[in-house]
Amino acid sequence: MENLHVDALVVGGGIAGMQAALDIADQGFQVVLVEREPSIGGKMITLSKVFPTLDCCSCITTPKMSSVAHHPNIQLLTYCELQSVQEAADGFRISVVQKPRYVDASKCTGCRKCEYECPITIPSPFDRGLGAYRAIRVPFSTAVPQVAVLDIENCILCGKCEKICAVSAVDFTQQPETFEIQAKAVVMATGFDLTPLGAKKEYGGGDLRNVIDPLMMERFLAPTGPYGRVLRPGDGKEPSSIAYVQCAGSRDKTLGVEYCSRVCCMYAIKQAMLLSGALPMAEITIYYMDIRTFGKGYEQFYQNAQAMGVEFIHGKVASIREDGEHNPIVKVELTEEGRIVERTHDLVVLSLGMLPVFKSNGVLHLPLGSDGFIDTPAPNANPCATARPGIFVTGTAMGPMDIVDAIITASAAAATASAYIREHNNGHGETTPQEQQKEAAYA
Amino acid sequence: MPEMNEVPEKPPAPESEDVRVGVYTCYCGGNISHVVQCERVAKTLSKIENVVVSRTDLSFCSNAGQAIIEQDIRELGINRVVIGACAPSLHEQTFRGAVTRAGLNPYLYYHVGIREQDSWVHSNNHEGATEKAVRLMAAGVAKARLLTPLDPIRLGAERHALVIGGGVAGLRAALDIARQGIRVTLLEKSPFLGGRMAQLETVFPTGEAARSLLHGLIQQVVAHPNITIFTQAMLTGVAGYVGNYEIQVHQDGRGISDDKAEALMAACTQELPDDFNYGLTKHKIIYRAYPGCYPSTPAVDWEHYNGEPIPVNGKSVILKNEAKSFTLNVGAIVIATGFDPYQPRQGEYGYGELPEVVTLPQLIRSLAYVEDGKPLVWNGRPVRDVAFIHCVGSREIEGVDEPHEDGQVNNYCSRVCCTATLHMMDELRQRFPDLNIYDLHEDIRTYGRGHEDYYLRTLEGGARFVRFNGTDRPTVVAAPPGDTHPVLVQVNDTFTYGEQVEIAVDLVVLAVGMTPRLVDDLVQMLKVSRGNDRFLLEVHPKLRPVETAVNGVVLAGSAQGPMNIQESLAAASAAAAKVATLLGQGKVELPPFVARVDAEKCNGNGACVQACVYEGAIALVTISENGNEVRRAVVTPANCTGCGACVGVCPNGAIDVQAWTLAQYEAMVDAIAMDYDLVEVAT
Amino acid sequence: MPSNLQAKQPKILILATLAGGYAGADSTGQVHADYPANTYVLPVMCPCMFPPEFFVRAFERGIDGIIIMYSGTDSPYKVEADGTADLVNRTYALMKTRRIDIRRLRLTAICTVCVKPYLKEINQMSELLKGIGLVKDEIAAPVAA
Repeated sequence: MENLHVDALVVGGGIAGMQAALDIADQGFQVVLVEREPSIGGKMITLSKVFPTLDCCSCITTPKMSSVAHHPNIQLLTYCELQSVQEAADGFRISVVQKPRYVDASKCTGCRKCEYECPITIPSPFDRGLGAYRAIRVPFSTAVPQVAVLDIENCILCGKCEKICAVSAVDFTQQPETFEIQAKAVVMATGFDLTPLGAKKEYGGGDLRNVIDPLMMERFLAPTGPYGRVLRPGDGKEPSSIAYVQCAGSRDKTLGVEYCSRVCCMYAIKQAMLLSGALPMAEITIYYMDIRTFGKGYEQFYQNAQAMGVEFIHGKVASIREDGEHNPIVKVELTEEGRIVERTHDLVVLSLGMLPVFKSNGVLHLPLGSDGFIDTPAPNANPCATARPGIFVTGTAMGPMDIVDAIITASAAAATASAYIREHNNGHGETTPQEQQKEAAYA
Repeated sequence: MPEMNEVPEKPPAPESEDVRVGVYTCYCGGNISHVVQCERVAKTLSKIENVVVSRTDLSFCSNAGQAIIEQDIRELGINRVVIGACAPSLHEQTFRGAVTRAGLNPYLYYHVGIREQDSWVHSNNHEGATEKAVRLMAAGVAKARLLTPLDPIRLGAERHALVIGGGVAGLRAALDIARQGIRVTLLEKSPFLGGRMAQLETVFPTGEAARSLLHGLIQQVVAHPNITIFTQAMLTGVAGYVGNYEIQVHQDGRGISDDKAEALMAACTQELPDDFNYGLTKHKIIYRAYPGCYPSTPAVDWEHYNGEPIPVNGKSVILKNEAKSFTLNVGAIVIATGFDPYQPRQGEYGYGELPEVVTLPQLIRSLAYVEDGKPLVWNGRPVRDVAFIHCVGSREIEGVDEPHEDGQVNNYCSRVCCTATLHMMDELRQRFPDLNIYDLHEDIRTYGRGHEDYYLRTLEGGARFVRFNGTDRPTVVAAPPGDTHPVLVQVNDTFTYGEQVEIAVDLVVLAVGMTPRLVDDLVQMLKVSRGNDRFLLEVHPKLRPVETAVNGVVLAGSAQGPMNIQESLAAASAAAAKVATLLGQGKVELPPFVARVDAEKCNGNGACVQACVYEGAIALVTISENGNEVRRAVVTPANCTGCGACVGVCPNGAIDVQAWTLAQYEAMVDAIAMDYDLVEVAT
Repeated sequence: MPSNLQAKQPKILILATLAGGYAGADSTGQVHADYPANTYVLPVMCPCMFPPEFFVRAFERGIDGIIIMYSGTDSPYKVEADGTADLVNRTYALMKTRRIDIRRLRLTAICTVCVKPYLKEINQMSELLKGIGLVKDEIAAPVAA
C-alpha cells in the first residue's frame, strides 16, 4: 500500500463520515475515508425505515455509499484502523493498518461463491446476532465495497472457498499492512455504541429472552432482516403485545449516563408505527417520562402515532422480570393514576441510548466532554471544532443525535474543515489570482 | 455569461437505431413491493416491444443495484433505461450517475414514481396498484423509445453569493462561503447586524455572554476581504437562474454621519417602543439597537420619523432618507431570515390583559436592566413566586387548539424553549435565591448536549414541576382583590394523578415558541416553498437538507425551522458547503430541458417568438437554405426556461422542449389508455 | 392464467407541473393518504406546451378525465398562470365541437404541500366520471336530434 498525501482524513464511514467526505470532496479537496469495518454504511445501513418520512433506510444510505465509492476525490479504505496520529509541519501524519481480509480486494468480484461454499455458520453482528453468516462472506447485500472478508478466528481452514473462487482471490497468507497518510485536516466521525442490553440489572441484565434492544427490532422490521417478520426471539411466536421502555439507557445516574440520547423517543414511535403495520392486531405501549419529539415534523409524527392507537403511558419502569413462559412483566408507576402496577407483555424493547465509541488514547489524544463524547469547546461559535486545531468532529462522535442532525453537522464539519485546509494552503481564504482570472473570463 | 448559445445539433432520429430498453422495478426495501406486485409488473413489462430486459431488485439505488443496471448497459447493449422506484426528486440524479458511468447518455433514462404516487397511496388495493404500476411504467417505456441523447447547458457562474439576513446564521454562512474564496454580499433589513442572538444575555449550555460571542463572529465577517455588508437593505427583485441571478436591492440611507451622530441623538425627542426590548422600553427615533452594536453609527427609524426638524447647535436639521437601489449579480442565494418569537394572542394565558404575564424573551430583556444584588420587582411588586408555562404557541393540536389567523395550528415543537426556560430558572435561582419557581410543562425536552444539566440543577434547586396534558392546558386568571398574589395559575397536575392545583404567583412567564419570519415577498420572488409548519422547506431532510427546490437557493438557520444557536451555526455552515460546491468551479450545469426548433419543419412564421415572454430566448434569424434566404426560429438555450409556450402555438409542430416532447406525451397517453395482459407469477 | 387488464374503470390522467401538482402528489404519498388507483400522473414542466388537440386526442384514445394540476401564480414560468387558463378555454371550445363533455377537463392549482386539495380534485373527478361514464360511450353516442 502506497503512502497517501491528501487534504483531509475522515475517520468513520457511517452516515456522518460519508456526508463529510462527500462535501469536502465536492469542494475539490482530496479526501481519504478510513473505516474499521469491511464495509461503509455504519449503524444507519442496518435500520429499517427512518423517521419522520418513513423512507426506506437503504434508499437514503446506499446511494451515499455508492457516491463515496465513485467519487473521484475520495479514496475509500475499509477494514483499516488508525495506529497513530502525529502533528507534522504540514498537518497530520497518520499511520494506518490495513487488517487482512484474507481476500485480495483487487481480484474479488463479490460473486459470493465462497460464502455459499463455506461450512462455518456464525451469528451475524449485522443482524444483532439474530441471523447468521458464514466465516467468509460479503458483509451484507448492499455492502460497499462488494468484497468478501474472511473471519480467520472462526475459519477451519478447509480451503473450500479457495477452491471455488474463480479469480483466486482467497489468500490465507495475507498480513496486516501499515502505511502512512499525510492530511491537513482530520474529521472525526467515529459514531456511537448502543447501551448494552444487560446494562441495567433491574431490567433483567440481558438475561430475559423476550427483552430486546431497538437495533434488533430494526432488523426484525427491515426488509433485509433475518426473518422477514417480527417474532419473539425466545420462542419464535408472533407477539401480540409489545412494550417500549423509554430512557432505558439514558437520563439515568445509576448507569452514569445523565444525558438524553435524543433519538430514542422518535425511534420507539417509529417502530411502534411500523409494528402496527406489520402486526395490525398487536397492542403497542410506550412507557415514558418525557416525550421528546423536537425535530422538524416530529411532533406531528407523535400526534399521528397517538391517533393510530399507540398507547403512551406516563410512568417510570421500575423493573422487568419474566413469568414461566418467558413473558416479560413490567413493573411501572402510573403517575397519572398514582399507583404501581405490573403488566405482562409478549415482547419488551428497551429504548437504549448512545454511548461514545472514541477513547482518547495513545493513538490520538483528543479531549472529551464530561459525557465522554469528543469535546467541542466552542459550541456556540464553532460547533464542529474540537480542542485541537485542524481536527473537527461530526455526527454522534460529538454526542447523541439523529440522522438529520448528523448529516447537517457533517456538512458543517466539511465546511469548516475545507475552509481550514484552504487557509492552510493559501493564507486567508481570499480570492486567488487564478480565481480572479476565472471570474474575469466570465465577466 | 452563456458559454454555449448555438443551436443544438439535431439529435439522431430514434427510429433509425435499435432501441433496447431495460426496465427496472424497484421493491424499495418493501415500500413498493408490499403493495405493488413487482414481479408481475416486471414480467408484464418484459413483453412490451423493445424491452430487452425487465428486472426487479430490493433496492436499485444501492451500489449493487446500480451495478446491475450498469452491467446491462454494458453487456446487453441496453440504450434506454426505465426505472420504477421512489419519487424522481429523490433518486433521479443517482441513476443518471449510474447510467453515465456505464457510458450511456444520462438523458436516455426515465424515472417513474411508483412509491409516492402508487404503493403509498393505494395500500388497500394491491391489484389496482399493480395495474397502475404497469401502465405508468409502460408509459415510461413509450417515452424512453423517443428519448434522444442530450448534453447539459454549461454556463459560467458568478463566484459571488448573496446572503439574506444578518443574524447569527447569515453571518456564519457568509463567513464560511467567503473563506472558500467566494465573494459574498450580506443584506440585513434592519440597521444593525446580530439578529435575535443580540437580544440574549447568556447562552446555554456554556453560559457565555451572547453578544460577546456574536461580536467575535461579526468582527470576522467585517474584516473578511471577500464580504460586503449592506444594512437597511432589502431584496426587491430577482431574475435569472442558478449561477447567474440578477438581484435588485433597495437600501435606505443612514441619514446621519458619525461626527454629528451624538449631538443629534441627544437633541432628538421623538420616541418609540423599542423592538429590541420587545416594547418594554422606548428608544429615540435616532438610535443604536444596543451599546456596542455594529455598525456603530446610529440609524434613523424612517418608517416612524415624523419629519420634524431637530435643533442642533442652533441649527435645525431635517433628516433625509437618501435611499438607493442597485443591482447585484450572484450565483447563489442563502436565505437566513430567521424567526419571530410567538406572539401570544390577546388574553392567551392572560397575556396583554394582566400586566404580570410576560413572554420569556421579554423577561430576558427586562432582567438585563436589573442590577446585580437588587431584588426582582414586577409591576411595582417584589416577585416572590413565579410560574413558567411551556409550549405557548407550540405543540398545538388540530381540533383542540384555536387556529391562528391563517387557519393553521402550530403543531410543531419549537425545540429551544425548554432549555431556554430552564436556563432562565437557573439564572433566577442564582440571582434571587429566595424566589419560588413553578414549572408547568407537558414534557421537558432538554435534549441537547449539556441541556439535561439545567433540568437536574433546577430540580435539585427546589423548583416545583407540574405536568399538564396537551389537551388540558393551564389557565391564568387575576386573583381576587386582597389576595396575597396578583395572579392565579390553575392546572390539573398529572404528576399527582390529575389533582387540580392553584398556584398564586407574582409573575407568569410564557415560554413562547418560534414562528417563521414572514417573508412572503421574498418567498414569492425566489419561488421557494413553505412546509405545513410554514417554515421554509428543504428538498429532503436527509438527502438535501439545506437546499430548496429552487436550484441555487439554500436555507440557513431558523428560517427553516426552530433551532438553537448551535444548530443554526451548523445549518449555516452546511449551507455554505453547498454554495461553495456550487460556485467553486465558476461554472454551473443546467438541465438541457429547453426548446429546440426543427429547422426542416419551421417556416419562419414567428408565432413562437410572439408567444415567448423571455428576453432573448427565441428569435427569427435569416439563414441561407439551398441558395434562398429564409427566416427560421432559433433558441438561445441559456435564456430559455423550457416553459413550452412556443411549442403549443407552432402550427407546424416544429418546436419541442427537449426530453419533454409532445410526441413523447402522446405515446405515454396511448400507453396509459391501452390494455395489458397482466402476467401471473407463482408466489 | 393471465388476467386481462380491462378498462372497466374510467381512467383519469393528471398532468401535474413539477413545481406544483407533481410535488403535491408526492407529498400526498408521503402522508400515505389513500385515493383511487385509476389515476395516472404525468410530470410536466408547464402545461402551456400542449395544444388543445392534445387533450382531444387523449379523450379519443380512451382517457376519461384529465386534471391539469398547475402551479398557478406561484409558477416558475411567467406564462403559466394566464397561458394555461387560456389554453383550457380554447380546449373547451374544441371539446364542444367534438361533443365531449367539457367537465372531463379540469384546471386546478396545486402546490407542493396541497394534500387535501389534491385528494379533493381526484375524488371530485371520480364522482363525476361515475355519473357521466366512459368517454368512449360518449364519443360513440349518437347525436341527439
